[in-house]
Amino acid sequence: MAALGFGTVLARSDVEVKGHVAEQKEQAQHAPPGAADSEPSATSWWAPGNGKTLAALASYRNDYGSGGVLNSTGPVNTTGHPFFEAIGRNGRACVTCHQPANGMSLSVETIRRRWDETQGKDPLFAPVDGMNCPHLPAESPASHSLLLERGLFRIFLPWPPKADDGSTIDPEFTLEVVRDPTGCNTHPQYGLSSPNPMVSVYRRPRPVANLRYVTHQKFGVFAFIGKNGLPASRDPETGLPSAMNLLADARQPTLKTQAVEAAVTHLQFDGKLDDERLGRIVGFEQQLYVAQTRNTAAGDLMEEGGPPGLGVRNVATGRDGLLGNNITNFVVPLGDSWKHSPNAMRESIARGHDVFMFRTFWIRDAMHLNTVGLGNPAKRTCSTCHGMHMMGMDIANGWMDIGTTNLPHAREEPLNPWNERKPELPLFRITCKANVPPHPFLGRVIYTQDPGRALISGKCNDVGAVVMQQLRGLSARAPYFSNGSAATLREMVDFYDRRFDIGFTEREREDLVNFLSAL
Amino acid sequence: MRIAPPSLAICLALCLAAATAAAAPKPGERLSFVSCPIVRDTRSVPCWLAEYGGELYFLTIQTDVSAPVNPPWLGHKVLVEGVVSDEPGICGGRVIKPVTLSVLPELDASCNTILPAEDRYELTFEPPRPPGPSRGRLAFGDPAKRDTVAPSDAPVPAAQLAFSLAYEFDGRVAFRHAQILQRILDTARATHAVEVRITGFRSGSRLSDGTVLRERAGIERERAEQIRELLRGAGLDGVQYTVQGKDTSKRPDGIADAPDRRVDVVLVPAR
Repeated sequence: MAALGFGTVLARSDVEVKGHVAEQKEQAQHAPPGAADSEPSATSWWAPGNGKTLAALASYRNDYGSGGVLNSTGPVNTTGHPFFEAIGRNGRACVTCHQPANGMSLSVETIRRRWDETQGKDPLFAPVDGMNCPHLPAESPASHSLLLERGLFRIFLPWPPKADDGSTIDPEFTLEVVRDPTGCNTHPQYGLSSPNPMVSVYRRPRPVANLRYVTHQKFGVFAFIGKNGLPASRDPETGLPSAMNLLADARQPTLKTQAVEAAVTHLQFDGKLDDERLGRIVGFEQQLYVAQTRNTAAGDLMEEGGPPGLGVRNVATGRDGLLGNNITNFVVPLGDSWKHSPNAMRESIARGHDVFMFRTFWIRDAMHLNTVGLGNPAKRTCSTCHGMHMMGMDIANGWMDIGTTNLPHAREEPLNPWNERKPELPLFRITCKANVPPHPFLGRVIYTQDPGRALISGKCNDVGAVVMQQLRGLSARAPYFSNGSAATLREMVDFYDRRFDIGFTEREREDLVNFLSAL
Repeated sequence: MRIAPPSLAICLALCLAAATAAAAPKPGERLSFVSCPIVRDTRSVPCWLAEYGGELYFLTIQTDVSAPVNPPWLGHKVLVEGVVSDEPGICGGRVIKPVTLSVLPELDASCNTILPAEDRYELTFEPPRPPGPSRGRLAFGDPAKRDTVAPSDAPVPAAQLAFSLAYEFDGRVAFRHAQILQRILDTARATHAVEVRITGFRSGSRLSDGTVLRERAGIERERAEQIRELLRGAGLDGVQYTVQGKDTSKRPDGIADAPDRRVDVVLVPAR
């Protein structure tokens, strides 16, 4: 569990107990009596086609307590269910990379455990994207290093990009490979110079849960993107604009189109998913909710009368399409009861919430944030960007560049004679063409590990812009950011602290981590 | 774009400004200049200032997406066009109001000044949006609920069929255009428009020191064509698009230059 903030009072009672007993008491009082022991572990594996029933509320242990997966329509019989059955050539199902124990995403801990248990034979490690590049020797862990070390799958996208109608987009920039440690971007069969030119980038699987929020059709979802005025992508069946918050690069407008692409690229399904199977996949995804349900020190997060923003049941009944970030609809409503609690962790979580909502700092040079009317810099808070009620993602069209993949802020290996580690991710040089304005904060030449949204839009301003993630179920699915560059919640908070020169105190960091871990 | 490359033009403007700095302008006088923006922190939201001719001017406070004036960006120079106001100074700067701000596209690392908060520069009014929670105010409006013509067979007044999109100097479509584009789209659909007439404009700007800046050549046509493509991209097809560009950059007067940076859209409904 995360450390408690220093200086906190660990237990309050008529008689203060010295020493370690206060901590022991706190945990003893708040730990569920036996329930946790019966919960599956954080690395319990749901194999495709196992035929089990996914309970209406399934709980799984994790480092901070337990996470819950709630099926709002009741238990799900997975026998023959297309989300749970291997439907492609490589033996994978959707559930392979969207595991209930990992908040319907996949933790690197689970990936490593699976490698050890199967000697790398599980379909999870399929060459198509479970290897750094399909041409590498499958039996070697080194061929899967990005998956095993950072939980990253290969995403291969046509270059230059294709519009919805299949026509080729003329990008505003040229793209060169500066570094290719996986060998995939320069490979004659899989790379940019191949007969079917593809760019390979490496990303984390996003959680398949709480999608009623992610795909809402309410505030901020219009025919034109609020960040840049360009047309939003549309549902090909209804013509309605999409919230464009599903994938890291917003390349798929709906759950249905996402499922079609995922079946092709991740499951190696050779054909077209019929409407019946697509309907079952989408229907399952739309009724599914994930959140932390128990915190080791704070106790039950779903107790009656508890904070209205915590626990998976509250997530399942919350309002979607609502912009938080004000005092009537907090992003994650906690109420006041935990601000003065006899439980130190509850107090820490409440303080972390206030850090999230109220702790201002200078947000600077963040594309699609500072450029949308706030000015550069803007004195705002975490909740400025993470504003969607209950989810903490952007309300719509949520791509933004905060420097997770673009240099100079992206995590890079220090190069020196004493460091034996080599860079793991590719590095691209983006040069904005002369007939377009330079990127407002990075200029005409940009170095990036993943051009993000720009691989779809072809826009210079989109280089390195990534759709922000929901904040639910974080405790179950480390590492964080689209490129897995933050191994822990603490590293994630530290990234923001460095990037925006926030100057968090140690207590603010701990409180913020504890708050995030309770979501 | 301009009579000279951007950096040279801006330098020229600044040098001339320094050389010709005269008496401080009186309230009501127009003022146009290019300068580095300056941020001054306060106990609530930051103020945005700029220095010209030895005077510090207040441009705006930190605002939000739908505000009529949005703050400029450090890392870029800003073109300031406005009228000196007789209002009391804010954040140590004379107020320019109304003011039009254009972030110039080229990067300029010399624009990097953040001043700390000082008690004497307390804001005397509540900012529309505090730095944290907004106290119930929405960050930006819902275009679907604003000024949209409802589907009807009744004649629509011509004023409701004409739209104007304002641009920053050398600017392209940006966040602020999403809402008006939505209104154009909704109105075109509601009135079963058969034709969309789009006119893009290129403008200049006469600065207070006499320097003339001109937008990039050809931008008038580019602006108009981009609007056409965006409307098409949003699904407004099956209509006739008439696109033209007008270059008004040869006659900047230092008075009404900013309004000439625009695209006009007129919808012709089905009879």
